[in-house]
Amino acid sequence: MANLRKRGLTTAVICSGPFLKLGQAQARTFGVPDLPLLEIKHPLGGQSIEKVKARADHAVPLFVQLVKESAQ
Amino acid sequence: MSHLAQMLAAPGAAIEADDDFDAINALMREKGWSDGLPVVPPTEARVTAMLQYCDRPWDVPIAKVAPRWGEATPIRIAANAVMAGCRPEYFPLLMLAVEAMCEEPLNLYGVQATTHLCAPLVIVNGPVARELNINCGHNAFGPGHQANATIGRAIRMVLVNIGGAIPALGDMSTFGSPAKYTYLVAENEAESPWDPLHVDRGLPKDASAVTVIGAECLHNVNDHESLSAEGILTTIAGTMATTGSNDVYYAAQPLIIMAPEHAKTVAGGFSKAEARRFLQQHATLPMGRFSRENIERRLKVTFKDRYAGAGPDAPVYAVQNADDIMIAVIGGAGKHSAVVPTFGATKAVTRALKTADGKLAKSVAEFRKS
Repeated sequence: MANLRKRGLTTAVICSGPFLKLGQAQARTFGVPDLPLLEIKHPLGGQSIEKVKARADHAVPLFVQLVKESAQ
Repeated sequence: MSHLAQMLAAPGAAIEADDDFDAINALMREKGWSDGLPVVPPTEARVTAMLQYCDRPWDVPIAKVAPRWGEATPIRIAANAVMAGCRPEYFPLLMLAVEAMCEEPLNLYGVQATTHLCAPLVIVNGPVARELNINCGHNAFGPGHQANATIGRAIRMVLVNIGGAIPALGDMSTFGSPAKYTYLVAENEAESPWDPLHVDRGLPKDASAVTVIGAECLHNVNDHESLSAEGILTTIAGTMATTGSNDVYYAAQPLIIMAPEHAKTVAGGFSKAEARRFLQQHATLPMGRFSRENIERRLKVTFKDRYAGAGPDAPVYAVQNADDIMIAVIGGAGKHSAVVPTFGATKAVTRALKTADGKLAKSVAEFRKS
């Protein structure tokens, strides 16, 4: 993901709340401290398909907005 | 100016602190440079003494430690070794363990950052284990021996201070584990009826070696009644097969530890290879013991070919391949064995202790600067 971002692609990592700090630390480690982290509700594992889809429904517009902002 | 002093003159390479045990420990706690226990202050003199057993350039990384991917230079490792209470002669083995655990097959990033409670377990084989008095007998996994306690602790210090395994930041383990303080033992080769673990893993018998495993704590196997190989192995197999183990869901490499008494009974009937095959075949649970969701969302997805049409009585294997089961003899007197499940998404790494010229080291004295 970091390499894709360095190549100029629109990138983001989707992660649940407790993993945001890990994501931020990894982004710094790999030289892309501004890598967007799109937060979804925790947990993702051990959920029904409906709840997983609900998390995707939350993340998709965030990512669409990111793509639009990148295009401007 | 000494060699180390020149290196420490670089900006950020060293910190100044009052020459006071309590003040230095307060500073370490404030910085988060500790496992929570008091540390030995890593003064220039102590770090220099540690590095007398290093035959590599002191400032050249030997590995990068996940998840921070921090550079593990001998100087940094030495400072952590001092803090953990290591004796200088332990340093070559600590360096080897750090190198081994950072090799790709172990998946240290996963082991460090997972919500699972695994930690790198180090099994030491060969003459250096005896030279350093690494406990392989009674209470081998418990307290009482400086080498076990401090080399294992130094590994944890490296994982935290260089690798960034900070709780809720780089180490996301839901529970953690006592094994995250120290997790290092030797194999009891003298009381084993078989070739030792490092020979099984392809090294010469006279090599000194470490085998690193991304492992849970050991689970005890009590069997005071079985008099046969089949009996002991049946009890071990029953302990291996549990519905909540990561190993069930991966092509895992669990470790089976037999104390010498169990090993002797098993060796009376089976070779190690035969014992592995028996365990693989018998460490099973009927599929109906797993939850419906785990069957549909895990077992029938991960091992589609094996379980696609399986019913509730079909056996689910704790280990997919017999050759993936590692067996070591550890411990003192008593009718016990132990099962060490793993993180699952990890492969054990075995490496021999070698001097800088690539020759097998017979003694840590070969690393000492004259």
